[in-house]
Amino acid sequence: MELRFFELYRSAEYIQLLAEGASVSFFITVSAGIFGFVLAFGLAGLRYFEVPIANILAAAYVDFIRNTPLIVQLFFIAFGMPLLFGYVWPFWCHALLALSINFSGYFAEILRSGFASTPKGQIEAAAALNLTQSTIFKALIVPQALIKMYPSLSSQFIFLFLTTGIISEIGVVDLTHAGLFIDSRTFRSFEVFITLTVLYCLIALGLKAILQVTYQKTLGRRVA
Amino acid sequence: MEILLIDIFDKPHGIIIFQLLAATRFTIYLSLVAFSGGGIVASMITFLTISHRPMVRKFAQAYIWFFQSIPLLMLLFLTGLGVPRLLGLDVNPWTAASISLVLFTSAYLAEVWRGAIAAVPSGQWEAGFALNIGFVSTLKKIILPQAIRYGLAPTVGFLVQIIKGTSLAYIIGFSDLMLTGKRWANAPVLGSEPFIIFPLMAVIYFCICYPLAMLARRLEAEDLAKI
Repeated sequence: MELRFFELYRSAEYIQLLAEGASVSFFITVSAGIFGFVLAFGLAGLRYFEVPIANILAAAYVDFIRNTPLIVQLFFIAFGMPLLFGYVWPFWCHALLALSINFSGYFAEILRSGFASTPKGQIEAAAALNLTQSTIFKALIVPQALIKMYPSLSSQFIFLFLTTGIISEIGVVDLTHAGLFIDSRTFRSFEVFITLTVLYCLIALGLKAILQVTYQKTLGRRVA
Repeated sequence: MEILLIDIFDKPHGIIIFQLLAATRFTIYLSLVAFSGGGIVASMITFLTISHRPMVRKFAQAYIWFFQSIPLLMLLFLTGLGVPRLLGLDVNPWTAASISLVLFTSAYLAEVWRGAIAAVPSGQWEAGFALNIGFVSTLKKIILPQAIRYGLAPTVGFLVQIIKGTSLAYIIGFSDLMLTGKRWANAPVLGSEPFIIFPLMAVIYFCICYPLAMLARRLEAEDLAKI
C-alpha cells in the first residue's frame, strides 16, 4: 500500500485532461440545468393552469422521469432513439438532451409545489382587483414560488450535478471519462478517484456559490 | 415462469423479460441491504447529531456533509476499484456495491432523521428533563414518536433514490437489472434493440419506484392534514 499521487500530478497531459473534463462536466450540467428549468417551467405551468389532457401528460412525464434511473434514460436517448429514428449526433448532444429531460422532471415537481403553495387569499384578492389569470400568474405566483423554492431548486441542481458522471458511459469526455482514462494508463485507481471526488466537490461548491450570487443579483433584491 | 412468459411474448421477448425480472431480484436485494445497513449507520449518526458534545456533533455533521458531497459513482469506483487496488485485495462487486450504497444512504437518511428530530419543538425536550425522566427515556418516549411522524414520508421517498442509485452498481460489475439489460441491448439479437430493452427496463424500475413514491406522497399529505 503506497499512495503515489505524484504519478498523476507530474504529467501535464493528465492535468490538462482533468481540466478539460471538469469544464465539459461543468458546462454540460449548467446548460442542462438551464434547458431543464425552462422545460420544467412549462410543465409546471401546464399543471398550474390545469390545461386539459396536457396537465395529465405533464404529470405522467414528471412521475416517469423521477421514478426511473438517469442511466436508463441516458442509454435510451443515446442508443435507442438514434437507432429508432436513424440520426447521428455527437455524444455530448445525447448527454445534454438526456440530462435536460432528467433535470426538468425534478425541477417541475419543485416548481409545481411552489406554484401550488401560494396562499389562496392572495389569489382571491388579486381576482377581486380584476387582474387577469396571466397577470396573477406572472406578478404574484411565479416570483413568490421562485423565491420560496430557490433553495430546493439549487440543492436539487447540485445533487443532480453529482449524478452526471455517468455521461462518460456513452463516451462524453467529461471529468469521469478523463479519470477513467488516466486510471487505465496509470493503474493508480485510488489516487485517480480521490482526485475526481475532490474535483467534483470543488465544482459543486463553485456551483453553489454561483447559484447564491445569482439569487442575490436577481430574486434577492425583490425580497429586500 | 420462463415458459409462460415465452408463451405470452414469444421467443426473444419472453426470454428477455424473464431474465430482466430475474435480475431485478438483485436490484431489490441490493436496495434492501443499502436501506437496512444505511438505516443502522444513519441512526447512529443521527444519535451523534443530538449529542451534548460539540465535537461529536461536528463529527456527525462532517460525516453527513462528506458523504452527501461525494458522487455515488465515485464511491462505487473507490470501493470497487480504488481501495482494492491500493490494498491489493480482491473485493467482489456485492461487497463494494453494498458498502458504497450503505455510505450513500446513511448520509441522506441521517440528514432526514436529524431534521425530523429537530422539527420536534424544544419544549418537548425541556418537559422531559423537567420531569427528570432522563435523556434516553425522553428521546424514546417523547421525541422519537413525534419525530417518526415527520421523518416517515421523506424516508419512504428516499427509498426511490436508493433503488435508482443501485442502477449505477453495474459499473463495477454488479449483476442486476441494469447489467442484464445492458447486455441484452448490446446483444445482436433481433428484437433486443436498445429502443426496446431500455424502455422495458424503465418500466420495471418504474413499477418498483412509483408505488413507493405514491406512498411517500400520501404520507406527506396525511401529515399536512394533521397539522
